[in-house]
Amino acid sequence: MTEVLQIAIEQVLAADTLVIILISAIYGIFVGSIPGLTATMAVALMVPLTFFLSDVQAVSAIVTTVTCSIFAGDIPSTLVRIPGTPASAAYASDAYALTLRGLHAKALKVCLLFSILGGLFGTITLAVAAPQLAAFATQFTSYEYFWLYVLGLTCAAIVSDDSRLKGALALFIGLLLSTVGLGTDYSVPRLTFGFDQLITGINFIPAMIGLFGMSEVLRNALVIPQANAIEASATPTSEVTTQPAAADDVTPGTFRFAFQRKFSLLRSSVIGSIVGMLPGAGADIAAWIAYAVSKRFSKTPEEYGKGSLEGIGDATGANNAALGSAWIPALVFGIPGDSVTAIAIGVLLMKNITPGPNIFDASEDPAQAALVFGVYVTFVVANLVLWPLGLLAIRAGGVLVRIPRRILLPLIVLFCVIGSYALNGSYFDVTVMMAMGVFGFVLERFGVPLAPIVLGLILGGEVEHKFLQCITKDPSIGAFFSGPITIGLALICIGLWIGPVVISALRRTTRLTE
Amino acid sequence: MTSFRSLSRPLLLGVLLTSLVGCQRSDSYPSRPITLVVPWAAGGGTDRVSRQMAAHLEQELHVPVNVINATGGKGVTGHSRGMTARPDGYTIQMATLELNMMHWTGLTDLTHEDCIPLMSLNEDYAALFVRTDAPWKTLGELEQDIRDNPGSLQASGTSSGGAWHLALAGWLMAADFDVDDVVWISSTGSNPSLQELISGGIDMVCCSLPEAETLYAAGQVRAIGVMSPKPVPGYEEVPTFEDQGRDWTLGGWRALVLPLGTPEHIVVTLRDAVRKILKGETSIANNTNGTAAGQAQQTFPQFMDAAGFDRTYREGEELQAFFNETDEKFGTLLTTEAMRSVNSERYNSMAWPTMLLVLIGLTLVAIAAVRVIGANKQSDSAEMCQAMDSETSVAISGRGVLNFVLIVGGVVLYCAVVEQAGFLLAAGGLLFLMLLSLGTRIWVSAAITVVCVPIVWQLFAGLLRVPLPPGEWGL
Repeated sequence: MTEVLQIAIEQVLAADTLVIILISAIYGIFVGSIPGLTATMAVALMVPLTFFLSDVQAVSAIVTTVTCSIFAGDIPSTLVRIPGTPASAAYASDAYALTLRGLHAKALKVCLLFSILGGLFGTITLAVAAPQLAAFATQFTSYEYFWLYVLGLTCAAIVSDDSRLKGALALFIGLLLSTVGLGTDYSVPRLTFGFDQLITGINFIPAMIGLFGMSEVLRNALVIPQANAIEASATPTSEVTTQPAAADDVTPGTFRFAFQRKFSLLRSSVIGSIVGMLPGAGADIAAWIAYAVSKRFSKTPEEYGKGSLEGIGDATGANNAALGSAWIPALVFGIPGDSVTAIAIGVLLMKNITPGPNIFDASEDPAQAALVFGVYVTFVVANLVLWPLGLLAIRAGGVLVRIPRRILLPLIVLFCVIGSYALNGSYFDVTVMMAMGVFGFVLERFGVPLAPIVLGLILGGEVEHKFLQCITKDPSIGAFFSGPITIGLALICIGLWIGPVVISALRRTTRLTE
Repeated sequence: MTSFRSLSRPLLLGVLLTSLVGCQRSDSYPSRPITLVVPWAAGGGTDRVSRQMAAHLEQELHVPVNVINATGGKGVTGHSRGMTARPDGYTIQMATLELNMMHWTGLTDLTHEDCIPLMSLNEDYAALFVRTDAPWKTLGELEQDIRDNPGSLQASGTSSGGAWHLALAGWLMAADFDVDDVVWISSTGSNPSLQELISGGIDMVCCSLPEAETLYAAGQVRAIGVMSPKPVPGYEEVPTFEDQGRDWTLGGWRALVLPLGTPEHIVVTLRDAVRKILKGETSIANNTNGTAAGQAQQTFPQFMDAAGFDRTYREGEELQAFFNETDEKFGTLLTTEAMRSVNSERYNSMAWPTMLLVLIGLTLVAIAAVRVIGANKQSDSAEMCQAMDSETSVAISGRGVLNFVLIVGGVVLYCAVVEQAGFLLAAGGLLFLMLLSLGTRIWVSAAITVVCVPIVWQLFAGLLRVPLPPGEWGL
C-alpha cells in the first residue's frame, strides 16, 4: 500500500508531469473563466493531446484541468455575473453583489480558498472510502434519483431571497422550458411551435449565459447615459477602482474566515462528496444543496442572495468536493459520476486500463493501483497549484472591473455570443441566449430570481424521465416510498415543502391568540 | 488622446494586416479546418471513435479536424447538421444506425439516401446482459422465465424506440413473444441503464459489448448472448443468439458520410485518406506506459482493437447495399402493429408540461394574493416594491432604450449575416456599433474593434477550435 503510494507520488512529482500539471492548470483556469466553455468541453478538447502522454500524465492533466476550471468559473460569475460553468450558478448573485460593492477581490479569494479546501476534502473522501462509498452509490435506483433531483430543485426554490413563491415560479418556468423538444421518453417533440431547431430543446448553457450575463448587460445599457452624464468618478465602476488597496488587505482575513467557518465548510464538503459520487448528479447540484443548507443554518439568512460570503464559501466548497468523489463510481465500476469522468474513462480505456473493483488491488496489478493513487496525489497537487495561479487570475480579473462600462459591455456581449455558439456551433443557440437575456431582464424587473430557472432547465428532463421510469416499473404511489434511502430523501423534500407553510400557520395562530 | 489618435491609424493598419495572415484561401482541398459532426455526447463510444478518426485525418490531410458534438433530439439534430451542411467537403458527418431508424418514426425526412456514404468504420452488435447473481445462464432459461411470467421482467439500454430497444423487441418477436412481455424502461443511454441493472432496478440490459466492457470485465454482469452472425473477436466466450437457437441478429454501425452534392474530387480525396487510416498506414503517438521508451505510435486499427470496438469496413456499393438492408430490417420492425403500439406513448406527453403550466398559474395567483395582503399590512414586501420602483424611475431614458434595442437587434443581425460575411466582419461590425452607441469615441471604438476581434478569432478558432465561420470572402 505505502509502496504503491510512494510510486504514485514519484510519478506525479516527476518534473515532466509537474510541467503538464502546471500547463493544465493555466489552461483550466483560462477555459473555465470563459462563459460557455464548460469543464467538460475543456477536457474533451484535451483528449487528442492525451494520446501523447503516459497514463499518469493523462489523468493528471484531466484532474488538474477540471479542478482549476470549476474554480475559474467563479471569476466571471463574480465580476460580470456570467457563471463560467453551471456549478457557479447557485451563488452568482451573491458574488456579483459583492463586486458592485467593490469587494470582488475578497469574494474571489473566499471562492479560491474554499474551493481548495473543499477539493482537498473530496480527495480525502475518494482516497479513504472509494470502494465502500461506491457500494452505497450503486443502491441508487430510479426512485432514489427521482427524490434526489426533487431535493435539488426544492433547494433552488427555497433559497430565493425575497420570496419563496417567486423562487418557485422561476423553478416552474425552468422546468417548463426543459420540456421543449424531443425528450427521452416520447417519440414526438413537444412545444416546438413548428421550429425545427427546437427539437433539440433549449440548451442550458446559452440559456444560462443569456439569463445571467445578457440580462445584466441590458440592464446596464439602459442606465449608461446617466452614468456618462455624471462624471466618470461617480460610476459604480470607479468606486471599485478606489478600493483595491483595501480589498487586497483581506488575505489574512480570508484564512481567518475559513477557520471560523470550519464546521460549515466540513458540512458542505460532505454534501458535495455525497452528491458528487452519484452518477448523474454533479458539482452543480452539490452547490445548490450546500447553499440551501448553509442558508438554513446561517445566523444571517437575510444576506443570502445579496452578497453573503458564507453562502459563497459553502457552495463553492461543495462543488469542488464533488469533483473528487465523482471519480468513485468511475474507478470502481466504470460508471462515470459526471460527464468529465465519462471522458476520463474513455482515455483510460485507450491506455489499456479498465476501471473496476480490481483497479485498487496492488497485488493484482501494481501499475494500475499506482495510477489510482496517482489520481489522489494529483488532486492534492492540483489544489495546491491552484492557490498561486488562482491569486494571479483574481488579480488579472480585477483589471476587468476597471474597464469603463461603455467599453466593457460590448465586449461582454461579444463573449456571450461566442460562448453560446461555441458549445454546439449553432446560431440558434445564440438566438436562444438573446431571448433568454431579454426574458431574464423582464423577470428581474419583477423581482423573480434567475438561478432556479437554470437548475430547472438542467434537471427538468432528468426529473421527468426518472418519474416516468418509476411509474413504468410500478404505477402505485407506494413504490416511491420503498427502501430507507427513498423514505429519507422523500421526508426531507416533503418537510421542506410544507415546513414554511406550517411555521407561518403556527405563527398566525399564536398571533391570533395574543 | 491626440497622441493616441496619431498612433491609432498605423496601429489599425498593422493589426488588420496581421489578422489577414493565414486567412488566404487557395483552391486545393483541404485548405482550412474541417468539422466532423458527431450526433452523440462527448465521452461516449461514437465520440471516442470520432475523435480518434479526427486525429488521424488531421495528420493525413494536414489541416485541423474539429469535432462538434451536436447532441439531442435522439440523433436528429446531429445527423441533420452534417447532412444538410454546405457540400464543400469541410463538414463531414459521423452517421450512426439511428439514420436507418429516424425516418420510419417520422422524426425527420432524412434517410441514408440523402448523403454520400464515404466509409463505414465499425459494426457493434447488440448483446444481452444480466447481473452475475441472476438465475438465468442461457438464453433458453431466460426465454422460459419470460414464457412463465410474461410482463414481469424489465429491460433497458436506451430510450424507448431506440436501437437497442428494437434489438430486444426483434428477439422477442423472433421467439414468438409479445413485445410487451419484457417491459422496456426508457433510459438516456447504456451507462445509466447498467447502473440501474447493478443497483437491482431492472433485470437485463441490451447494449453493445464495448459499452458494458468495464462491468463485464469486473464480473458484475453476465453476457447471455450477442446478436451477431458469428462470435465477436475478443468476446469469443459469449455465445451468439443463433448458436442458442434464435435466428436474430442486429448490429449498430458507424459511418462517415458527406452531404449530397459534395464535388467528386473531394469525395475521392477523403475516401483515400480514410482508406489509408483504416489500413493502419497512419499513426499517432499513444503512450501506454510511463517511461519515455513507452512512447509508441498507434494506428487506427490498433486503437479500435484495444478499445474493444469491432472493425468491419464497408464502402461503395457494398456499403450502399448494407444501408438498404439495415433500413429495410428496421422498417419492418418499426412499422409492425406490435411495435407501433409500444412506440405510441405510454403516457400523454403533454401531461407534464400542462401540470407545470397549472403550477405556474397557481404560483402567480399566490404571488398576487400575497401582494394584496402585503399592501394592506405595509410589510417588508411593500418596502421591496418601493425599492424596485425607485430603481425603475432612475433607469429609463430614450438613449437607454435605444442601446437596449441596438444590442438585441445587433445580435440577431449578427446571426443572420455571419455565415456570409464571416466572423471577423460581422463581429467587428457588432462590436463597433455597440461601442459607438454606448458613447465611446469613434477612434477608440475602431481601435478596440480592430485589436479585439482578431485576438478573439485567434483565441477561439485557433486555440480552442471553435468552428467560427470564415465567411464567403475568406475573412
